Order: sequence, then structure tokens, then C-alpha cells
Amino acid sequence: MHISDGVLSFSVVAAGWAITLVLSALILWRCKYKYDMAEQIPKISIITGTFFVASLIHISIGPTSVHLLLNGLMGVVLGVFAFPAMLVGLTLQAFLFQHGGITTIGANNVIIGIPALISYWTFRFGYRKGINVAFMGALCGALGILLSGIFLAFILISTGEEFREVAYAALIAHLPVMVIEGIITGSVVSFLLKVRPELLPVDTEV
Amino acid sequence: MDHLKLTRILVLLGMVLMLLMPGVSAHRVYVQEQITEVEIKAWFGGGDPMPNADVSVYAIKNGEEELYIEDRTDSNGLFYFTPKLGVSEYRVVVSESGHKSEKTFNLAGGSAAETENAELPLSASVVAGFGYIIGIAGLALYFSSRKSKGQ
Repeated sequence: MHISDGVLSFSVVAAGWAITLVLSALILWRCKYKYDMAEQIPKISIITGTFFVASLIHISIGPTSVHLLLNGLMGVVLGVFAFPAMLVGLTLQAFLFQHGGITTIGANNVIIGIPALISYWTFRFGYRKGINVAFMGALCGALGILLSGIFLAFILISTGEEFREVAYAALIAHLPVMVIEGIITGSVVSFLLKVRPELLPVDTEV
Repeated sequence: MDHLKLTRILVLLGMVLMLLMPGVSAHRVYVQEQITEVEIKAWFGGGDPMPNADVSVYAIKNGEEELYIEDRTDSNGLFYFTPKLGVSEYRVVVSESGHKSEKTFNLAGGSAAETENAELPLSASVVAGFGYIIGIAGLALYFSSRKSKGQ
């Protein structure tokens, strides 16, 4: 899902950075008043660390090689903080693992981070409706990957790729990742709700 | 005395003939190596091959680039091409839906511009990444605690 340097045109790269930086700043600015940041930061750091190393776990099923993303998990556990936290994780991945490009961190953050936010809102909605938490977690874990594949295909249209072809290939390749992340997210969420329910950002309005 | 003089002349003549001989009987020989096939290998970080990826080979002659071959890697992420006669410098670009990498190399042996940076060992990268994250968390905690003290 990570786009490398030199694939995207300048305007797409610039738009990616603009969306990423503005949205991150907006989220941090709003949450400064809503949350006790000193309480949030340790949790954000742990999940960011998990996200950072998760991309090293490769799953080689079928022709292509894919790795875990954990953006759904990030969204469900961190809420809106998933987006700025991802900027840190993606930057470290780009510089230390050469995953994705350095100029494309902005675009990658949009591809991976916005699905994380959508996963979060979906999870919160399902939680408030009283739907089984493990099921909602699994659904949102898989949803993060699904939406990322669609976003990736959308962004690659600008390079002249066929939307349906890329989306199809990305989604087929990521099917095993969706299953694995669904299981991970579902079990993490049900575990957290049993042990420390206050860690899940389900009662806040952001 | 005459007999000795004759021998001397004969020896001299023989030496002159021997000196002339190689120049007459040998042809000049040329040897040059020719590389008939170049193997390109493309793989993802972690070692999995990049199958069915687009490959573009650009031949570089006198500093000018020219598209030479466009094709795809096979199922093992390999691609083979025959170099263009007289061109030894190539730039190869491999891309596959969003992943892209390139390498410039010279078959004549001269080290061309390295496009790949020397990588840290993976374990060192992981530790470094966690170090950064802990550092950033520490900075953020510092600022948030300073703010709450000020209030």
C-alpha cells in the first residue's frame, strides 16, 4: 500500500502533504482541549510502535507480497489520533525501512490514515448501537485495509493506471491481510474492553 | 681467416632473418569481452521477489537516455535483456502498482552512480524506530506537563 518516490506527479504529492499536515494539525489542536494529553500519549506511542514494526510482517500467499498495515486497529484504539500518529510511523518506515517514499509520506498518510478514521467512526457507531464488540473490531480491522486498497487505486489513477485493475489486484492481494487484521483487531478490542475499557475512545465526540 | 669471416656473415644473416620473421608471419589479434545477457532482479524489502512488474530499460549513450526495452519481470522477479551493441551504460526502472525502484549501472565495470543506499541492519532500524517514538512521546509529555503546570 505504500507508494514509492517518483511514482506520483508533483500536484498529487503536494495535495497529499497538504491534506496530511492540515488534518493532523486540526486534530491535535481540537484534541488539546478535549483530552488529557498526558494520559493519551503513552497509548499513542505504543500503538505507533506496533504500527511501525507491523509493516515488517510479510505474508506471502499467492503471487504478491503484502505486509500488515494495522490501520484499522490504530483507528479503533486511538480514535482521531490515529491520523497524526501515522505520520510519525510512516516517516520512520520511509527513512528506516525504505518502505514507500519520502516525498510520498503525505499521500501514503492519506491512503492509510483516512481509512483508519473511517474505521474508528464505524466502530464507535456499532459500539453505541450495542453490536457485538469483537465482531465490530474484526469488521473495522478488515475495513481499514479494504478502504486503503480503494484509496490506493484512486490515487494511482493520476499515474494513468486503470482504477478497477489496481483496486482489484490490491484487494485480492490483501485478502489474507484483511482476515489476519480482522482477527487481531477483534481480539485486541474485546481484550481491552474487558481489562481497561477506558482505553477505547468510544465515549468521546470528536 | 676467410672461413671465420664467412661464419660471421652467416650468423649475422641468420640473426637479421630471425628478427624479421615475427613481423612477417603473425597477424594482429583482437580480444574483447561481450556480455550477451544482463539479469535484472527485483525484490521487495524482506526478500520476496517482485513478479510481473513493469521493467523499462534505458540505454545511456554519450549522456543521452533512450528507451531500449519495456517488458515485465517473470514469476521470480527476474528479467533478462541483451545489451545494445556498443552501449554499456543502462538505467533500469522497475515498478509495480505504486512500488518503484531504479538502478543505473555500467557493464564496462566502472562503478556507476549508486542509487541504493547502504541499509542499516533490520534489527538496528527497528531499535532506532522505537527510539524515535519514545523520544517523540517524551517531548510531547514534556510539553503537555509544562502546559498543565502553567495553568
